Amino acid sequence: MVHNFKSNIAVDWCPGCGDFGILTSITQALSELNLGPTDVVAVSGIGCSGKTPHYLNIGGVHTLHGRSIPFATGVKLSNPKLKVIIPSGDGDMLGIGAGHFVAEGRRNTGLTLILYDNEVYGLTKGQAAPTMELGEKTKGLTRANIFGKVNPITLALSSGYSFVARGFSFDMKQLKEILKTAILHEGSSLVDVLQPCPTYNNINTMEWYKQRVYKLEDDKSWDPVINSGNENQATEKFQKAYERGLEWGDRIPTGIFYDNRTIPSFTKRLNEYVPGYLSNPPATQLISGSDGYTPIDPYKTFEDKIIY
Amino acid sequence: MDISLTIGGPQGGGIDTSSNMINRAFAEAGYNVFGVREYHSNIKGRHSYNHLRVKEERPRSLKYPVDILVALDPDTIFEHLEDVGPGTKIIYDKSFETSDLAQARLIMRDTSIRIKEKLDSEKLPNNVNGALEYMKKRGGIPIAIPFSDVVTGAIDDGPAARYFNTLGSAVTLSIAGLDRKFADEAIKQVFSNKQKVVEENVKVVEAAYKFASSNNIAGTPLKVLPKKKRFLMTGNDGSAIGKIMGGLRFQTYYPITPASDESSIMEEHEHLQLIDKEMKRLKEGGVVVVQTEDEISAITMAMGAALTGSRSSTATSGPGFSLMAEGISFAGMDEVPIVITLYQRGGPSTGLPTRNGQSDLLFALNTGHGEFPRIVISSGDVEECLYDAMKALNYAHRYQLPVIHLIDKNLANTSDFVPDIDVKRVQVPQTLRSETRFDFKRYSLDTENGISEIGFLGQDIFWMTGDEHDEVGHVTEDPEIRDRQMRKRFKKLETALAEIPQSDMAILYGEKNADITFVTWGSQKGPLLDVIEDLREEGVKANLLYLRMFEPFPSEFVKSVLSNAKLVVDVESNILAQAARVIKLNTGIEIEKAILKYNGRHMTEDELLKAAKQIMSDKTKTVIEVLENGT
Repeated sequence: MVHNFKSNIAVDWCPGCGDFGILTSITQALSELNLGPTDVVAVSGIGCSGKTPHYLNIGGVHTLHGRSIPFATGVKLSNPKLKVIIPSGDGDMLGIGAGHFVAEGRRNTGLTLILYDNEVYGLTKGQAAPTMELGEKTKGLTRANIFGKVNPITLALSSGYSFVARGFSFDMKQLKEILKTAILHEGSSLVDVLQPCPTYNNINTMEWYKQRVYKLEDDKSWDPVINSGNENQATEKFQKAYERGLEWGDRIPTGIFYDNRTIPSFTKRLNEYVPGYLSNPPATQLISGSDGYTPIDPYKTFEDKIIY
Repeated sequence: MDISLTIGGPQGGGIDTSSNMINRAFAEAGYNVFGVREYHSNIKGRHSYNHLRVKEERPRSLKYPVDILVALDPDTIFEHLEDVGPGTKIIYDKSFETSDLAQARLIMRDTSIRIKEKLDSEKLPNNVNGALEYMKKRGGIPIAIPFSDVVTGAIDDGPAARYFNTLGSAVTLSIAGLDRKFADEAIKQVFSNKQKVVEENVKVVEAAYKFASSNNIAGTPLKVLPKKKRFLMTGNDGSAIGKIMGGLRFQTYYPITPASDESSIMEEHEHLQLIDKEMKRLKEGGVVVVQTEDEISAITMAMGAALTGSRSSTATSGPGFSLMAEGISFAGMDEVPIVITLYQRGGPSTGLPTRNGQSDLLFALNTGHGEFPRIVISSGDVEECLYDAMKALNYAHRYQLPVIHLIDKNLANTSDFVPDIDVKRVQVPQTLRSETRFDFKRYSLDTENGISEIGFLGQDIFWMTGDEHDEVGHVTEDPEIRDRQMRKRFKKLETALAEIPQSDMAILYGEKNADITFVTWGSQKGPLLDVIEDLREEGVKANLLYLRMFEPFPSEFVKSVLSNAKLVVDVESNILAQAARVIKLNTGIEIEKAILKYNGRHMTEDELLKAAKQIMSDKTKTVIEVLENGT
């Protein structure tokens, strides 16, 4: 039987919210990947995006503001067989949790970051999020945004994410396909999702985006993939991705910017030091002998501490 | 036999190698050594020292004055003026004698000013010679050794200074009366049988022993005791070993003194062989140790791992623990089994980053916003660190809550000879299930003891949220469910109080009816047990109420001990007498006398004994004695 990835909880996002398109894209991607209900875990932060796990019929953790990434890293490292998706907001990942966002690029644990990018803090009445343009004045603000914006695409590239993409919440077909590739990606992936907040962002509306977005894949020569066969093109592809990442304004690119399959994931790196880690990970490892006591012999394991 | 000694020198100058050599040499002859490491927040150059005590039985405290002071640099002579008493042998390099205090630029300025005042008050020159005169007036016996001459006479090549620490330790061993063969054996162990290095150092040992005998400073031969297999462990080692034995498979940390050594030790032992009771090899396993980007990540990552079923923990010190507050509140709300090992050092803020303190007890009891159950335990010696780490993991899993394990810096850096590790002391329960439960009631209210059955991500379908939640973990603001979930969570503390053995919460050492009752926790346990014996020899009956668990608190037991006590003295390494406040909060009993220390140095037997006598002779109602030993 095919698992229904939608839970039966009433969704309380505002009508017209971009979150709905993201939620649907996630459930469709999981279904089309033929994943089982216990193969995937969703870990979110706080805010409207943070409610997503409750709307999914899989194990879900709605954590602390800004801490979805380290929580998810713990889940993945402890049980590397799991696919871990992180539906989290722009404030969550690039404001309060920006340090974790950068650190995760270095780790490349194998997480799928789904960045709900609407440029505002919706649940607290529309303050400027880190992705809002300098000088923009949305209706929730008392005066124009005094901060410059952070660019999720180029920040992710600089931080070391091995998969960087952008979707648009009103193009669920493209978003679903991006999510499928991201979830199957061995390292960590960032999927920046442009979405309107109909309640607080009266500038970056659905129409505003629709007039500007274009698809990278429409250019038939666009190939962001780096694998063991074309590693010599890695730098060039990174530079191209970065260049496209800087594009904003009249034309906004969506699609996959960068997909490097040659960088070993953190779990693979760990397996080098802890042999058997991947086949016998912390979550399912034996910690008790048949007698109910530790299966570790301290006289052997900690022999270096013995004096005779 | 009871020898106290201090070896001092520049940080990074081989003090630890010296102590290691002394430890191993005495171990070879069957003796026990107990020691504490004191150091600055500095990589190279500033004064550090190891304070050691050697006995036939296991020492459990340190004391001043020392019998032997080994100075590997002039700073050590200046810094330890007061640690010398009648008969203390001061070993130093002859070339130090003319060194000026003013040239000792790495002595902290205020310390230097105080040393100068002391020397000036005795009208002594502000140099090592003056300092030695000062020590002589206290009964010290300076023993000048031409370090360079002795070493260059012994070795073929290489810089002589490289061997000064071996020379210092070897002379010490000779003064103690230890046969040279034990020193040679120690050299082999310390230098892990690197042949050339061992050979050279053995030559230095030989020269040191020769020097000692020709200058009549060699001690009368010590009797040789039966050699035993033992563990040489610090508090950091104890906690790391206990965690691994206790089933921990996921540890996170952000570098901080004095906590990160624990994680490094675990990383050194990350690859495990898991063996069943018939000693048949079962499987390979391992501990995942992750250095995180900050302590917020450390606590939340460890929780993420715990949600999948791993036994999981993090280790930190005050500043890092402060950053973990929000995460700990989540663990309380979401019933996450997690252990936080809190190595206490001198606060507030960065405080005394490498020095002792017990000022985080009240914080540990109140970390995190909102009301939630937690367990707070404390260890007082290296073995307790080990078994308490195992128990902490068990508590976390049995009661599904954050467990804070307090270890003070003094204990973290205490080295002790542990006779054995008993794998049967603490059970390690594990539940492995294979079926998946949909809409699993992770927070089932259908429970008598407050404990709902645990489920794991990747196995069961349920939700978690920092918001108040219903039985499957979805957000709720329903007033009735809120009440019931709050009561369910707190019920677990009552269950824990009823289930956990009394002796894991508090212990009364010594006779029931005593003239003086000490109350303490943490690393003062050893020194106070020694003080009780000292007092007994003087005809004073003393006992010790030793606290091991602060939440849940053994109120009834503590009340029963204190309400019958004649004279109660609280002993802690903080200024607020925090444990006494916890006692008052839980029992209503106010302790009016206290011995406190907050200069960041370890409490020693001599100063505690003196303060106890002072309190016994003082008739005023409230007395606080503040201890000041240590450099």
